[in-house]
Amino acid sequence: MTADLRRSIVRFKNAISPAAAESELDRELTAHLTLLEDEYVRRGLTPAAARLEARRAFGGIDQTKELQRDSRSFVWLHDALRDLTLAGRLLRKHAMFTLTAVLSIGIGIGSNAAVFTLINALLFQRPAGVAAPDRLVDIGSTRNHTGFGPSSYPNFVDLRERTTTLEDVYAHPLFPQAMSLTGVDRTIAEGIFVTPVTVNYFRVLGATPALGRLFDARDHDEPGVSPFTILSHRYWTTRFASDPAIVGRTLTLNGRLFTIIGVAAEGFHGTGVRSGDAWIPFGIAGTMAANRAGAWLLLGGRLKAGVSFDRAAAEIANIGRTLEQEYPEENRGRGLRADSLSPLPGNGPVVTAFLLLVLAIVLVVLTIACANIVGVLLARAAARRSEVAVRLALGAGRGRLIRQMLTETFLLFGLGALVGIALARSAMPLIIPRLPPLPFPIEISLRMNVGVIVFTSGLALLAALCSGLLPAVQGAKTAVVSGLKDDSRSPERLRLRHLFIAAQIALSILLVVVAGLFVRSLQSAGSMNPGFEPHGLELMSFDLSQAGYTNETGPRFARAILDSVRNLRGVQSASMALVLPGGFETQERALQVPGVTPSDGQQAFGVDWNAVEPGYFTTLRIPLLSGRDFAEGDREGSENVAIVGEGIARQFWPGQNAVGHYLLQPTIGQRGPTAPTRTLRVVGVVRDVKASSLIDGLAASIVYTPLQQQYVPRLTVVVRGRPGSRQTDDLRATMMSLESDLPLRFQSLEEYSALGLVPQRIAIVLAGGLGLVGLLLAGLGVYGVTAYVVAARQREFGIRIALGAGRSRVVRMVLGHGLMLAVIGSTIGLLFAAGAGKLLSAFLFGASPLDIAMFSAVAGVFILTGLAACLVPAMRASVINPLEALKCE
Amino acid sequence: MASEESRRDENRREENRRVELLQGTLDLIVLRALSTMGPQHAYALAARLEQVADQSLTLNQGTLYPALVRLEQKGWIKGTWQKTENNRDAKYYAVTKSGLKGLHQEAARWRKLAGLVDKLLADESL
Repeated sequence: MTADLRRSIVRFKNAISPAAAESELDRELTAHLTLLEDEYVRRGLTPAAARLEARRAFGGIDQTKELQRDSRSFVWLHDALRDLTLAGRLLRKHAMFTLTAVLSIGIGIGSNAAVFTLINALLFQRPAGVAAPDRLVDIGSTRNHTGFGPSSYPNFVDLRERTTTLEDVYAHPLFPQAMSLTGVDRTIAEGIFVTPVTVNYFRVLGATPALGRLFDARDHDEPGVSPFTILSHRYWTTRFASDPAIVGRTLTLNGRLFTIIGVAAEGFHGTGVRSGDAWIPFGIAGTMAANRAGAWLLLGGRLKAGVSFDRAAAEIANIGRTLEQEYPEENRGRGLRADSLSPLPGNGPVVTAFLLLVLAIVLVVLTIACANIVGVLLARAAARRSEVAVRLALGAGRGRLIRQMLTETFLLFGLGALVGIALARSAMPLIIPRLPPLPFPIEISLRMNVGVIVFTSGLALLAALCSGLLPAVQGAKTAVVSGLKDDSRSPERLRLRHLFIAAQIALSILLVVVAGLFVRSLQSAGSMNPGFEPHGLELMSFDLSQAGYTNETGPRFARAILDSVRNLRGVQSASMALVLPGGFETQERALQVPGVTPSDGQQAFGVDWNAVEPGYFTTLRIPLLSGRDFAEGDREGSENVAIVGEGIARQFWPGQNAVGHYLLQPTIGQRGPTAPTRTLRVVGVVRDVKASSLIDGLAASIVYTPLQQQYVPRLTVVVRGRPGSRQTDDLRATMMSLESDLPLRFQSLEEYSALGLVPQRIAIVLAGGLGLVGLLLAGLGVYGVTAYVVAARQREFGIRIALGAGRSRVVRMVLGHGLMLAVIGSTIGLLFAAGAGKLLSAFLFGASPLDIAMFSAVAGVFILTGLAACLVPAMRASVINPLEALKCE
Repeated sequence: MASEESRRDENRREENRRVELLQGTLDLIVLRALSTMGPQHAYALAARLEQVADQSLTLNQGTLYPALVRLEQKGWIKGTWQKTENNRDAKYYAVTKSGLKGLHQEAARWRKLAGLVDKLLADESL
């Protein structure tokens, strides 16, 4: 066995570098012949005769060499290397073809590699530094049995107490919070993203510290009990230069002192894509802790040993149902759902569908690139017919010829794959900063790992085989006699090429139309018009309860803040609200409507609710459809009023003016059907806005009540400044003069709602860019085939011109040829696109899949491109010199 | 180039025909001869084999080379350049230690196979 292994290694070595073994063999054979000659001389022959006799006795020297070579090295490998050298020489010779081919393959492979990297990062990558991630679950709230949203604190506490299938349940806010950090080594405050977590967080995740310790049984969730913080490894490295003595130092976060007790392991950033700089204990109390209606927490847990995911999911759903029954007001329509751990909790299916769609698009791009290559390879195979015929006539095996031609294709695709990976690698960092600013850092590992490399190489191999086999077989099929006799191009081969070009145009059209449909659908989803004017709005958020304001003192202070802000010089209008549209948070409240009963047999409707100050609609530019805005007079003690969205008005009072109707609102915090209710008179109707997030593209209808009548401490001041001015500094100064103890958070509304817009932007950039690439490739393809046809018909054109055909007629013939290809391809492509539009209609948010205007525009662009691609070959055809054309063959 | 390839194809077919006759046995014969004669060059080996076979085997001298390279690559023999008594260059092949082991194994295998074939040929019930 080892002897055979040893031999294989030597054979391998000899195949790669045959020179040494070859000269050794030469020397040995020469020595052998010399000894034979000596023998014959000894027997009395003359030296010349002995020489001849020795050769005769030895037998064929070249045959012996061949036999020895076969034994000494791996012949297939030796042949492959020779093919590779030859292919390399051919590719160098046709540098222009090689360049365009490698580039188009590179684009095809590269876009696939990039998309697969993204898929890999978002769907398959396990979170770093987390033990047994398969046993972890994300838990989200459902609304009317769909969705996967945040949960309220009381619901979290109940779930944690009641579950028997999970070891423990942790919670943290949806996003890391921007806090101000002071007292490190700079005098001014700096920003830091802090994630408050329940202290069981690290234990449930099975995380380990790189330094010091993580939160454990010694720590507590109550505010102030554990004033400790843990730094992320990245923040420790970048901000503190990996200071080994960091544990024990203190940080002042939003004015409160925290002691650093540890640094998390390298790469650990929790379970999602969110990535903060530090963690602090949850520290929740007061209104936030008691508010069962406010949903703002992401939950997660670890399955107990031996418990299946399905069992835990069933139990969690059950607890959700129980909680809905126990708290019908706050939990109306709300349930709980468990999902296996994902970087994007609850969005798995949506993201998967989206990414698969994108993958399909880039696969089409690759197919187009391959069709391009096949076209050119077919032409090359045709051009090499006489060479092939000669080699066949001399006895070369067809299999050997096919192998040689395939080698060239594989080399081409190998180079293309390298270019593709390089493109993907260099494009990724370019794309990331183009993403809209996010309100918090995210961490997606877009490193090319083994999986990506394997995927890319496999894809390149498959593509090479698909593209190379047909031309190679075609090339080797050459009949010896006819191939030697004449060099004309058979019409059958041309038909095959035309087929490929038409298919290429068709696929490109499909791509561009799908891209266009996407843009259209996003437009129609209303992300361009969310129902208000999102530009130029600045937000300042705070929680008045953190500075000690109560339900009695809070409303007055909130009004005082707003009055001061409105007096600022750069402020056009300002207001205040509990939540703003475009973020992910929603507040839901139960409502009863006299004379209308819910169809599902419940006692009340669950609707989105917001508390706002007067001027909210003016500031956001939400049109008031009828009635009036809230006014100074709508205060505690006066008549309770509400403004409703048009959807709610339509739902409850179809065909009537909602103004003047009444709503009944159970008072918050009280349980049961007998809770006292508040009567609200509808004073206005406003246009609906995209409320919870812009992703779903659904307009939500909201019931607004005056903040002064229904106070909440967690508030956001929203300011529309005069164009070109930012108010952040003025706002901060104003707040400092009123209340210096309040942690503040500043954002623009674009930042606040940025996350919701990410998929749209990615889709538009990607689909648009790839559509353009498809157009370019199709243009190259048409150019290639037309140039080839012109070259092939040179003699014919020469004769025509010699017989008196006008040059313009020749140009028309060539252009007509290109036009025919473009029209046929476009027609087929549009048919495909219509079919694809139907298939995609689920993604189109109501945009028509049969967009005639766009279809014809795309087809027009392609036909023009086709014609443009024919121009140069047409000009070339028109200047053919008949004499030379007839002589040259 | 094409003609070279076609010739090689032919050679390979040729070798395959001989391989049926000699594959394994030639290697065994060479190994055995070297172990009894001591280090030899290819010419002496060929001459010796022709002599022993006594015309019953027309051995093309070149045929030895594939066998020699196979054995050398397996590490069973080792070639070194030396001078003959007439001061000519020649590559002398000597059986290595693992070559001796290999010879025993191969010989045993051959005997077993030959015995089996004998037995089967002699068995009249077959």
